[in-house]
Formats: sequence, C-alpha cells, structure tokens
Amino acid sequence: MISQFFILSSKGDPLIYKDFRGDSGGRDVAELFYRKLTGLPGDESPVVMHHDDRHFIHIRHSGLYLVATTSENISPFSLLELLSRLATLLGDYCGSLGEGTISRNVALVYELLDEVLDYGYVQTTSTEMLRNFIQTEAVVSKPFSLFDLSSVGLFGAETQQSKVAPSSAASRPVLSSRTDQSQKNEVFLDVVERLSVLIASNGSLLKVDVQGEIRLKSFLPSGSEMRIGLTEEFCVGKSELRGYGPGIRVDEVSFHSSVHLDEFESHRILRLQPPQGELTVMRYQLSDDLPSPLPFRLFPSVQWDRGSGRLQVYLKLRCDLPPKSLSQELSSPEQKAELGEGALRWDLPRVQGGSQLSALFQMDVPGLPGPPGQGPSTSAPPLGLGPASLSFELPRHTCSGLQVRFLRLAFRPCGNANPHKWVRHLSHSDAYVIRI
Amino acid sequence: MTDSKYFTTTKKGEIFELKAELNSDKKEKKKEAVKKVIASMTVGKDVSALFPDVVNCMQTDNLELKKLVYLYLMNYAKSQPDMAIMAVNTFVKDCEDPNPLIRALAVRTMGCIRVDKITEYLCEPLRKCLKDEDPYVRKTAAVCVAKLHDINAQLVEDQGFLDTLKDLISDSNPMVVANAVAALSEIAESHPSSNLLDLNPQSINKLLTALNECTEWGQIFILDCLANYTPKDDREAQSICERVTPRLSHANSAVVLSAVKVLMKFMEMLSKDLDYYGTLLKKLAPPLVTLLSAEPELQYVALRNINLIVQKRPEILKHEMKVFFVKYNDPIYVKLEKLDIMIRLASQANIAQVLAELKEYATEVDVDFVRKAVRAIGRCAIKVEQSAERCVSTLLDLIQTKVNYVVQEAIVVIKDIFRKYPNKYESVIATLCENLDSLDEPEARAAMIWIVGEYAERIDNADELLESFLEGFHDESTQVQLQLLTAIVKLFLKKPTETQELVQQVLSLATQDSDNPDLRDRGYIYWRLLSTDPVAAKEVVLAEKPLISEETDLIEPTLLDELICYIGTLASVYHKPPSAFVEGGRGVVHKSLPPRTASNESVESPETAPAGAPSNEQPDVIPTQGDLLGDLLNLDLGPPVSGPPLATSSVQMGAVDLLGGGLDSLIGGPNFVAPPAAAVPANLGAPMGSGLSDLFDLTSGVGTLSGSYVAPKAVWLPAMKAKGLEISGTFTRQVGSISMDLQLTNKALQVMTDFAIQFNRNSFGLAPAAPLQVHAPLSPNQSVEISLPLNTVGSVMKMEPLNNLQVAVKNNIDVFYFSTLYPLHILFVEDGKMEAVSSRLQSSNIFTVAKRNVEGQDMLYQSLKLTNGIWVLAELRIQPGNPNFTLSLKCRAPEVSQHVYQAYETILKN
Repeated sequence: MISQFFILSSKGDPLIYKDFRGDSGGRDVAELFYRKLTGLPGDESPVVMHHDDRHFIHIRHSGLYLVATTSENISPFSLLELLSRLATLLGDYCGSLGEGTISRNVALVYELLDEVLDYGYVQTTSTEMLRNFIQTEAVVSKPFSLFDLSSVGLFGAETQQSKVAPSSAASRPVLSSRTDQSQKNEVFLDVVERLSVLIASNGSLLKVDVQGEIRLKSFLPSGSEMRIGLTEEFCVGKSELRGYGPGIRVDEVSFHSSVHLDEFESHRILRLQPPQGELTVMRYQLSDDLPSPLPFRLFPSVQWDRGSGRLQVYLKLRCDLPPKSLSQELSSPEQKAELGEGALRWDLPRVQGGSQLSALFQMDVPGLPGPPGQGPSTSAPPLGLGPASLSFELPRHTCSGLQVRFLRLAFRPCGNANPHKWVRHLSHSDAYVIRI
Repeated sequence: MTDSKYFTTTKKGEIFELKAELNSDKKEKKKEAVKKVIASMTVGKDVSALFPDVVNCMQTDNLELKKLVYLYLMNYAKSQPDMAIMAVNTFVKDCEDPNPLIRALAVRTMGCIRVDKITEYLCEPLRKCLKDEDPYVRKTAAVCVAKLHDINAQLVEDQGFLDTLKDLISDSNPMVVANAVAALSEIAESHPSSNLLDLNPQSINKLLTALNECTEWGQIFILDCLANYTPKDDREAQSICERVTPRLSHANSAVVLSAVKVLMKFMEMLSKDLDYYGTLLKKLAPPLVTLLSAEPELQYVALRNINLIVQKRPEILKHEMKVFFVKYNDPIYVKLEKLDIMIRLASQANIAQVLAELKEYATEVDVDFVRKAVRAIGRCAIKVEQSAERCVSTLLDLIQTKVNYVVQEAIVVIKDIFRKYPNKYESVIATLCENLDSLDEPEARAAMIWIVGEYAERIDNADELLESFLEGFHDESTQVQLQLLTAIVKLFLKKPTETQELVQQVLSLATQDSDNPDLRDRGYIYWRLLSTDPVAAKEVVLAEKPLISEETDLIEPTLLDELICYIGTLASVYHKPPSAFVEGGRGVVHKSLPPRTASNESVESPETAPAGAPSNEQPDVIPTQGDLLGDLLNLDLGPPVSGPPLATSSVQMGAVDLLGGGLDSLIGGPNFVAPPAAAVPANLGAPMGSGLSDLFDLTSGVGTLSGSYVAPKAVWLPAMKAKGLEISGTFTRQVGSISMDLQLTNKALQVMTDFAIQFNRNSFGLAPAAPLQVHAPLSPNQSVEISLPLNTVGSVMKMEPLNNLQVAVKNNIDVFYFSTLYPLHILFVEDGKMEAVSSRLQSSNIFTVAKRNVEGQDMLYQSLKLTNGIWVLAELRIQPGNPNFTLSLKCRAPEVSQHVYQAYETILKN
C-alpha cells in the first residue's frame, strides 16, 4: 500500500505532496528522500531506498522526481508501473509533464491522485475511466494552433539526442477544451525502434537486438474505431514465414488489451477502439537475425607510440543504408569533434546513405598504462581505451523493416475537417557499441 | 497566467485577501480562491486559519468546488478536530446525494479524516454506501472499511462491517471484488488468526474467475492473495497454475511478477516428471527476459528477482545467458546485478562465451565494475572446473596490465583458485611475486602472503618476501598481520634451518608488541606449539585444508525458500525477509514453500538428479568473499569458533580437537602426548565404562513404550561422507537412563566390522556407558539397530552450542567424525520436581508464577499480596544438593522485605 506520493522538482522542491494513509512522518519525508538520493554512493541502486521502515521508490521523468513511499512489503514493480502511468496520466491531463505545468495545475493533480489511489490502493490508471470523475480543467500556458505543425515531433519517444523537440500539438492536454470539438480530430501513430548492437574488436557481430513499439496518441472521441495495417510480410516467431521475400520477422509481440486481433492473422491488420490519450498499441522485439544490414559500420584503428605518448585514432564510418534514405549532403562545416569527460566525441549532423566518412584524431597522452610485456615500439592500443559507441537517429527507417501500410479511421466527423493522421517511423540507437 | 500565480510570497494581507475571496458571492472567484489555498498548502504554508471560510464553501452544488474543499479538509481536519465536526452534517447529507460521484466522494473523504469524533458519524453512511446500487460507491466504501478499521478496529467489528465486506467478494463488479479482497487482506494481516479471507477451493475458483475480468491493479491483489493459498494436492496446484499462466504475458510487470510468484510457489508441489512441469519451466523464461528490455529501474528490480529464481531453479534461464550481457550504457547498479547472474548461470556449455565477455568488462573504465568482473573470472574458475586453466591464464593477462586495482583483485581470486585446485597452478606464483610491491589493499596483501606461506617450499626467496612485509608489521591491518604470522610459521615448518630468526621475530611482534588479542592469542598458540612439539605443530599448521565449495554467495536455502514466497515484493529486492525491514507485527507472517505432495512422486536419488538442481542437494553455503578470506585462512589453526550450518556436514569441524584433547593439552604445558592420528584407535580399542552394558539388550533397544519424548531418527552421518556407512539416530531417556539409539546402514559394497565409538568432551559429560556392540559383521545393504547406553560421568567441556556432541565412529575401513545436537530433555532428572517447595509455599498463600532453570539452578518466581494490598514479587533460587535457598524480593514497600524473608524461612525450614 502506498503511504505517500510526491513530486519533486529537479532541485528537490516539493511540487505535489499527498499522504494517503496518515501513517507518515509528515512532509519532511520528501526532504529526507532528496537528501538520501543525492548522498547515495555510486554503485548502490537508487531505485529502492529505505530509511528506517520507510521505503522510497522513484522514477525520473522530464526532470521531475515522482516518488512513492510505503512501509509495507509490497511489490516494487507495481509502484514503478504506477509511477510511469502517473507520468503519462499527468501528461495527458496537463498537457505535458514539467515543473511549470504541475504547479499551474496543483488542484487538478490532487484530484487525479484522489481518483487513482484510495487509501494507497490503486483504483484505476486508465485515462478513459478517469474522465468520468475529473472536474477540474487544465490550465494551459498558451493556446494551440493547428497550423503550428511544422515541427511535429515525436510525442512519446525520448530519444537520446532529443533533437526532435516535442511539438506543442502533441503536448496538448487530451481533455483541454470541452468546447472546441472541431480541432481535436488528430491521430499520431509512431513506430519507434531502439537498436542495441555489440560488435567485437575483430568486427564480428556479438549481439543485435531491436525493441520496437507502435505508439498512438489519439485526440479522437473515445471508442472511434481505427484499423492499422502492418506490412503483410510481417511474421512472429522463427517458424512462420510469409511471402517470398526476406520477410519481416520478430521474435515476440505483445498487444495492448484494446486491440482486436481478428484480422491480424489473415491481413496483418490491428483493429482497435483507442481511448483518448497515449497508448502503446504493440510492442515487439527481435534479436540476432536482422533482415537488413546494420545501418552503420564503424572501423576504428588505433596507433600508439609509447615513447612520445602520441595516440592516433582513425575512424572510418560507413553508412549502409540505401542512398536515397537521406538526401542531404554532408555539410562539412557543421561537423565537429571535441575531447572531454574522458571521451572523444565526433558529431556529424547528417550522413548520407551509402557514403563513407573517415576521421583521424591525434592526441598526446603521456603516461598511459601500457599493454602487457612488449617493447615500447609496439603500436598496440593502450589499456582503458574504448569502446566506441554510436548514437544516432534514423527518421523514416525501421531496422526490422516493419512499416505501417495504412491507418484508417471509421470515425467521420459531423463537421468540417477530416481527421488529421500522422504516421511516423523512426529508429534510434540504444547502445551501439564497437569494441576496440 | 504565469507559473507563479499561486506562489506569490506571503504578504501580510494574503490570508486576509483569500478570506475575502472565499466569502465572495461569485462561484468562479470562490473556486479560484480555494485553488490558491491548496497551492499554498502544497508548498508548505500554513493556511489552517482559513478553515471556517473554506468549510463554508462546502455546501455547493458545484462538484469541482466541493472536491477542492474536501481536499482541504483532508489535510487540516486532523489539526482542527473541533472545527472538522462542523463539516460532518454536510458529509452525512452528501452521502445521500443523488449523484453517485458525490456519495463516493463524501464517504472517501470522511474515511481519510482521521478524527475519532467523526468515526461515529461515519458508521451509518458507510453501511448504506456498502450496499449502494452504484459500483463506484461500493468500491469506495469497501476501502473505507479498511480505513475505519485502522482508526478503530473494535468499531468495525461491532458494526458488522466485516461480514458485509466478505459478501462483497461475490459482487458482480470486478472492481468491487478487487477492493474488497484488498481491504480484507489488510485487515486480516493485523489479525493473523481471524481467518477473514477464508481460502478454499470454492473461493479460489471465484477469485480465478474475477482475475480475468478486473483491471490490472485488481489482478495484482488477487494474485497476491492466491499466493497465500496452499493447494491440497498437486492436481489442484496444476489447475491453478494453468489458469494463472496467461497472466505471464501481461504488459504490466507487476502482474507478471505476481503470477511468477504463484507459479514458483505451486511448482514446488508438482512432480518433476510431469510433462506439465517442463512446460511451465519453458513458459517462465520469456516474460523474465522481456522485463530486461524495460527501463533501468524496472530492470534492476527484475534482476534482483531473477537472481533469486536462478538460485532456486537455474534450469529456467540456462539458455538465456546472452540477455544478461552487460550493455555499455547500463547504469552501474544494473551492470553489477547482471554480472552476478551471469556467474550463477555459468556452466560448461557457455563458459567460453562468458569468459570472453568478462575479459572485455575487465578492461572497462568503471573501477567498481572492473573489480567485480575480475572476481567473476575467479568464480568461474571455481565453479566450472574445465575452465579453470583458461580463467587462470586470463587472470595472468590481466595482471600483466599492471593496472593497480586489477592486479589486486586478480591476486585475491587466484588465492581462492589455489584453494580449490591445490598444487595445480603454482607455475604462476613467479608472476604474482613480481607484483608484490604494488599491493596496497589489505585483502590483496593478505592473499599474497597466504600464497607465499602456502607454497613457501617452492619459492626460493620466500623468507625475503615475507621479511619485507614484516618491516611495517604494526602498520598493517589485522587481517594482514594474522596472515603474516601464519605464513611465517608455515615457512619455518617447511624450512626450519634458515628461518629461525624470522619466526622468533614475528612471534615476539605478535605477542609482545601487539595489543590485538586475536593476534596475541594466535601468536602464543604457535609459540607453545612450536616449543613443545614441532611435529605436532606441523600436523596442525600444515594440515590438509578442506576444499572450498563451488558456489559462493549463495543465499542460505531456507532463506531462499522464504524469499521465493516473496517474489515481486520489496523483500526480493533487499534479499531479506520482510521481518527484517517491516515494522513489527503487520504483515510479517513467516511464509514457506508448500511441501511436495507424493501422489505420483518418483524416487529421486541424489546421483541421478540433474546437475543444476540444487533444491535437493542442499549445497554447503560458504560466506561472501570478504568473510571467506578470514575463515579460510583461519582454518589451519584448529577448531574454528563456529561450525558450518548443517550438523551432518561437520566432518571437518573440530577434527583436531576431537582427537586427543587438542588445544587444552597443548596449552596445558609439556604433557602433549602423541600425534593426534594415533590417539583414536588406541582409545577406541580399550574397554570403556562399567559392566552396565550387560544389562541392556542392545539389538532390541529398550523400546520407546513410555518415558520422555523421543525424536524420530535423523541422519547424522550420510553415507557419502563416510565411505558408505550411514548413521542415523536419536536420543532417549528411559527410567533414569539415557541412551543413544543408532541405526547403522552399510551402503558400501564391502562388509563392515570392528565398530567402535567415542565421544568428544562435551558440556554435560555424556559418554558411552558400554562399548558399541555390533554382534555380526554388517554386510552391504544391511542395517542394524543399536541402543547405546550413556552416562554423564565423562569429562566436561562447555560446547557451543551447549548441546553439541562430537562423535567418532570407527570400523574396519576408517574413522569417521560427525557432530549432532542432543535434545536437552534427555538430561532432565526425575527428581526435578519442585512441587514439594512450591506446594508448601502455596499452602501459605505464596503462589508460584513461573519456574525456570538457569545454569543448573532452579528458579521459582512467586507472588504474594498482603491484606493492605501490597504486592511482593519473589525469586527463589534453589541449587540442587544445596540446602540453602537464595531469595530476592521486589516490592514497592521495601520495609516489608525483611519480614517476608523471615516468613519464607519459617515456612521452608518447618
């Protein structure tokens, strides 16, 4: 049972504090949590912490700490799940999650918390159910304009680079204005894949896996039916193969409970009646056999002159994507390299498919520990060097090859406009590591 | 509107301003004002002065405003109980509002106002709401019963709310069922005996049906509730498992883990031969693997649970090694957990892969992680014998890097490898010695010194090396000092001629210049040992050391079983039982895995059990690395202070002591007799005790018709440890005589003869009163029952634990040692009744409250009361055989004590 829930700003100031069971030590607990968290030794896990018989579980989301405390032996999984659901819910109701929106909507947040949790027991976390109970309206910082869609970004995927800034259209509260029905007919559908790759120093591929999800944010009235058509060659598991092509195969798939799968077997169509707000329609994962070649290969080579302490790092990067996939030329003035925090960073604004880039870095590093038992003339790399890690984002590309064929809405608005549909594909790196 | 709208600093008139706004006529203005009040409340400002004004806003038909006011009330009612009463009327009225949202809101808020005076008004509305037509109100009311129970448990019972709550379990709405289950579980936890949640096959069936219909959060309550149920047989267990398995693919990880808990628990009841058992094992792996692609927080919690599951049933994840490979951007706490699981899963089949990974990790940047990776390589060597050679060469490569902390870790683990595979890898010693100077951590120094001492005869300059350590002896940590002492003594015993000076130096440093008692004692022991009998010293110091066990860091099996019952809870993250971190009483019911039912269980012999199934192998647990070093290094000193956890596995325990008196005679001076090994057969051969043995018919035993409680026979010495001789037995007391009932079973292929038995000195002087008489040779697969009479006239030495008995049994094959714990009641004498004293006192109205026996003395705790109401508590201490009693009194009026004492004297003396 949850004793307390609180939201702290990134500096540790309490934004929201709610006590559910009256068994707590009061508001000091929030301060205690922040002190504990900041004083934690490096190798200890901050996920579950305790002070006497009070246990803290927290997640960090958009710079805020969402913390739940309990004094009983309950499931940390349910607390973590709940906290991330709350983050989504607060995002749905207040627009986006952030220090500003929370402090503008204190009353709304408390009202939500009261409906989600009663006496520390979770009642419901479904946006749809809660709609029946919530009275307070969100206070939004600025009005939205549908025309402000030039920078439509991903609403859900927190990419490593976060270059794609979330657009204000997607960060609008689901339930914002009750009056303004006509502007709400929008659907966002994202196919996001995270790619983890491990390549050994001899170039052999040790591990590849792809974790993908199809995420939907709908502003349509609840219960309106939609059909999502996936690539027809899509197959699940190792045995099943469709069509004559290489096939698009994943190891495991799970669907949101609102998805009807009656057309999935035959036509790879997902039928669903989504509630308003965000949901993950489908999650899948694929490991080891990738149907397409890896998007990037990096060939590092290192020369080290022990005597002078000069280190030469030669990096060759090849992009194996089809040439058309990124049209813009690499504009060399924009690329940069810098040395800092014990790492060498090489930033490239864009890489064209099929192109190859190389870079040579020279550094003077005297006094590195040497490789075992060889003379000073050796050119073997010094110890503690590596690995090389790539992080990138590939718009309009999925590593598994999965595509959304179509998104059809059964919903027909009574008024003017057809609903706007936004379908996006994106792959980004999770851990793309090449050992040196 | 700006961010800071509600957060302006407190000006003098702010409260006043808010007051005015709250009393405004305009609804919108009121609403804004209450919002501002709540915002101030959140940042910690005291707005309790506005209580009456806010309460005035309560009577409104605007739901939004009402909710805001209720929110305020929940926060401040406790500090202003008198004013909270003002709100009661509105609450009661709202509980009958036509709008179900308002009814639920009122009953929810009233439950949260923890003011005693309010609770009495709560009962009637709550009763109505529990039977409300709207499920939203009913589910809120169900939780409210739990709230009320926490404030006033008696009231809830008196009002009969518990029965209503039980009825709600069969409600048509799954939300109501889930909340009722949650409320009942919570109430039941504070009354463990109350049987509120009566789980029987029918109610389980109901819950399983509700499981498919309710929300994910409700599913968690129900699964956790199921986990507390013990099915009556394996069929029921299987059918529950079948209905729970679909939950494994749920998107909510809490549902998955609660399902895993139920399955892991009920699997215990299923036979391993069942096809279903295998299917279930296969089904458990994918959901666990999926958890590892979640965000790091969830991953960490999942890994802690997987760590338990892997120890209990390694077969579930044995093919999934790859998912535990460390990712470069994992947080360090996830990396360390993954590493731990990798070692647990390491086997001959995947060791090459694991080792290659570990080697990579050892060259990373993060120091903590690198250290752990180096240790992991050592653990692989110890766990998978075939890989030992490769591990050692990997470690040597790492030592060549000369990276300080890598070298030190490597040396610490190489020492463990030497313990596991003695005399196999000493070729690496030269390389190790090269790095002597770079060692600055105590653990690494101690390990290196141990290696030098252990292999002193093969290291030409061992004396120089050790001498170099000796220079800064007093600056070393205790660990290193102790190790240095032992190592130099070892060196002296191996090369006595050239190292005499060195050993004298270290002994004087340890005994004369040190104020550490451990060090001094060890120094004196060595000194006397060496000066009285160097041969014996050699036997003791250079004795063969027991091999270390394969698995390190295992959780002790009974704790593991308990933790398996707590999968998916905080206990599984801390790896501690809940009693260790949850406030006393609530929810701390010791749980254990259900016993395996034997309806179609096949007989499994340990030899044919699959290699990776520790559940029935009971692995010896050795402590974590840190403690390990101390213990291992200490072992060569003779009897350790504490024995291993299992009585039957204590072969090595006290071996030296058992044979011939051990240390006592060493310390006693020059009368150390003979090398220990010779002592036992000599003593065993001699006839012992008196002619009493003839009185007993040994083979039939005295029987257990009457007399004190006799425990069933337990296996004391398993056949595996005694070359085929299995001994099980128990102790009995019959009409004043104690005997040890033994069953000897020959599980070897040859005939056993010439049995003899001897006890080590023990706390009560137990000794065999007759020789062990086995009349006929024991042929293979034959067993014989013997009752060995015992007396208590043997020599006494206080043992730890007190009732520990170390026994040596000899036959024509060898001498075997084991130790066992005897139940103390066999030592209770028949004239232990204090009735005479207490009844005599009772007739004078001195009443006995309790009796205790402390260190051989009988204690009577008594009470008496004088006519004027003064109570006197007395403790009467009676020593057997001593006519004098000791009386202690406790009384508020000390002046009576002298007279009470005289009264006692009169009563007892007459």
